[in-house]
Amino acid sequence: MSSVLFLNLAWQISTLALVALGLAIVFGKLQIMNMAHGEFVMIGAYAPVITSSMGLPGWLQVPMCLLTVALVAFALERTIIRHLYGRMFDSLLATWGIAILLREAVELIFGRGYQSVSPPIGGTLSILGADYPAYRIVVIIGIIVGFAALYWWNTRSKVATRIKAMVGNPDLAEAIGINTARLSAGAFIFGCCTAGLAGLILAPTIRIEPMMGLDYLIRSFFALVVGGLGNLEGLGIGAGIIAGTQSVLGAVANQTYGYLAVLTLSILFLWLKPDGIRSSSR
Amino acid sequence: MVYVLLPVSLLLAVLLLIPELFGDFVAYQIGLYLIYGVAAQGIGYLWGKTGVLPLGQALFFGFAAYVTAITLRAESGLIIDLALATAVLAAISVFSFLLAALIFRGRNESGPYFSLITLALVMIAEQVAGTMTNLTGGFNGMSGFDSLGNLDPFGSFYYVIVAATVVVSLLLYVLNKLPVNLIAKAVADNEPRLQLLGFPTHVVKGAVFAFSAVIAALSGGLFASHQGIVTPTSMGFGLSAEMVILTAVGGRFHVLGPLIGAVIVGWASAELRDSFPYWELLMAAAFILVVLKAPGGIAELLESGYRRIRPAKIGKSFEAIAAPTTKVVDSDAPLRFDDVHLQIGVVRILNGVSFETPPTGIVSVIGPNGAGKTSALNTITGNLRITDGSIALGKRRIDSRPPYKALHSGIGRKLQVPSVFFSMNVSENLSIAMMANRARLIDLFRPSTYQWRSKSLSDLLEHSSVPLQEELVEPVEHLPQGHRQFLEYAMTIAAEPQVLLLDEPCAGLSPDETALMTNLVREYQAETGGLVIVIEHDISIVEAISDKVLVMHLGQVLAFDTFETVRSNPEVQAVYSGGTK
Repeated sequence: MSSVLFLNLAWQISTLALVALGLAIVFGKLQIMNMAHGEFVMIGAYAPVITSSMGLPGWLQVPMCLLTVALVAFALERTIIRHLYGRMFDSLLATWGIAILLREAVELIFGRGYQSVSPPIGGTLSILGADYPAYRIVVIIGIIVGFAALYWWNTRSKVATRIKAMVGNPDLAEAIGINTARLSAGAFIFGCCTAGLAGLILAPTIRIEPMMGLDYLIRSFFALVVGGLGNLEGLGIGAGIIAGTQSVLGAVANQTYGYLAVLTLSILFLWLKPDGIRSSSR
Repeated sequence: MVYVLLPVSLLLAVLLLIPELFGDFVAYQIGLYLIYGVAAQGIGYLWGKTGVLPLGQALFFGFAAYVTAITLRAESGLIIDLALATAVLAAISVFSFLLAALIFRGRNESGPYFSLITLALVMIAEQVAGTMTNLTGGFNGMSGFDSLGNLDPFGSFYYVIVAATVVVSLLLYVLNKLPVNLIAKAVADNEPRLQLLGFPTHVVKGAVFAFSAVIAALSGGLFASHQGIVTPTSMGFGLSAEMVILTAVGGRFHVLGPLIGAVIVGWASAELRDSFPYWELLMAAAFILVVLKAPGGIAELLESGYRRIRPAKIGKSFEAIAAPTTKVVDSDAPLRFDDVHLQIGVVRILNGVSFETPPTGIVSVIGPNGAGKTSALNTITGNLRITDGSIALGKRRIDSRPPYKALHSGIGRKLQVPSVFFSMNVSENLSIAMMANRARLIDLFRPSTYQWRSKSLSDLLEHSSVPLQEELVEPVEHLPQGHRQFLEYAMTIAAEPQVLLLDEPCAGLSPDETALMTNLVREYQAETGGLVIVIEHDISIVEAISDKVLVMHLGQVLAFDTFETVRSNPEVQAVYSGGTK
């Protein structure tokens, strides 16, 4: 395997893991099948477009992204999502409506056309004998470090334990003094913010447009189907298999075949291993 | 019959009047909305009945549209066109049936998985249609062909669309009146129960999905012929999403709901889309509102308005006819557990359970909470897959099979929390139970199947103390707990299983009702000579009915003997009186 292909693979897998993280939290923990997940990625990707159109300095992109996404997520949680905890199928429908709403709103503001932004870090680094964009290498390392931190946090923080308790038994969790309404809202907003952040990180490498979110929704969902819900290792494995299959086949054949292979893989998993690859007991 | 013919003839009259009243151009526009509406009717049937939401219906719509366009361009004549159309519809039905049946196999919910797979499929299809330029004309699409039979799209082709709309509506109305409708609705209502009644729900969902796919394909064919151009957007995700919105807003529970939605939304969007920039936002907001506040859509609102003027007639009595005998299963043999282990995650629930029941009689299962009693029953019906060991009924191994196969081997099951079809009335619940293990495919399409009553069920209903007869038209969700217990019991024995598994049948019953239930169980056992396994906490009931008692503790068999022997067993006493074992 050439080192460029290897680095591309690392890039695809790590970004998909980041994109899917938010869905894993919102779908896996809160049982909200968030069809608008990709739209939060999309909104995050528009953050640099907003800052540059307002003439703000580049370092404001991150706070701008988090602020916009968090505000949208907060407003939606208060008005719509909070009615949907425990109603997975209705959540799918309502967030489907939200997804359309967000796409149309963004289209009204920014227009249907493509936008592009330049990466904050230019140039290339020579690594493993190949010249590779420095920005991507920084991002890959950043995501790996971020996931390691999240894993560490997940095993020791009290909030993670409370979330675990709430997932296991919401009524009991409430009875022992956990504010499940606030915890759910927090988890939802956090999940959406990671999606937004993923969008911001991906922004310099893609074409930004209102419809871009769908593809991320589907690939994140497939990563969860393959990896199984409920833990970070599964998420990593799922992202690895999905992004790996897609980029390898995309490189040797074409994108459509890569997509078809991923779809077939997901159907096979749903059929044969409905709880994902990490389910050993069944 | 009047319930079917009245709305359909009204629909026909309205549609036929449109060209006369508003002219050909309006009829042309309405024709397009009707085409979308028919596809949405298919979505409505699938989604409204079985609860399966397809997000990629344009896949079939667009595929059929492309095939139609290619065929019409070849100008090979009407007969060949129609023959090809039939072949395409057949291929689509096979493909869609297999897809849905495969994904739903081994699940007992509709979840988001299937919806997202259909969404992914339609996105791929749109991409393929856009890139396969020599076959599909790429992003510019295909055009330059005449409509089917060379009819004028602005004139006589409208009547072809009207005919298709009326035929599909008539078909859906007729299906609503047939027993198969109950089965489809039961899928959305309580899928685990339907499986325990022996219905392979993944096949039901696959069949209904195939039906909706064929309807979508039919309207796609009409679309190509009507519009004279097919582009990748006809096969795209956007159209799929729009069709779902039409269905939701119009009302997915009614035959005409999606048509109403398509015409209203289509007309309003033609009027407003250009002048009012927020139109799409408004549509999305309306969709969210419908999901949250009015799941029945416009049709439901219309109906409740109509019901205020004319309340629905209820309670038509019918003459019962003798149900055919149940499919005979040779299972007059002992149930044997052989070193059964069950582990879920890190929790070990059953740790080497071994016992063999007598071939007939009543076996009670007792044990403290968490002993694994309900889990043991779940392994018998296949609701839980064992991790090791084997379970056999007679010579046949029965573990690790899907739950719908349990009844086919003669195993009926009543669950711990009464599990019935809550949105239906008692009579409908019993009808479904009467079909269990008796109905052949053809029986699901015969109205007379509704009237089936077996002798044992009639006896049970006419039993003076059983509180079910007067409530046959009452929706089950209004029934008190005790009556639900009797209903579920009646539904379970309606299929006349040789092995009857009862999980706390007396929970929540009054002392009188408890006595009645135990009598019923005893009579059933005596009549059929089968095996009954009861989980029970009330020791006086256990003493009264049991031939043998199985004591479970911490996922193992502690004792298995007659009641007297078990009572004097020191280990059992230790477990029950809290001593150390």
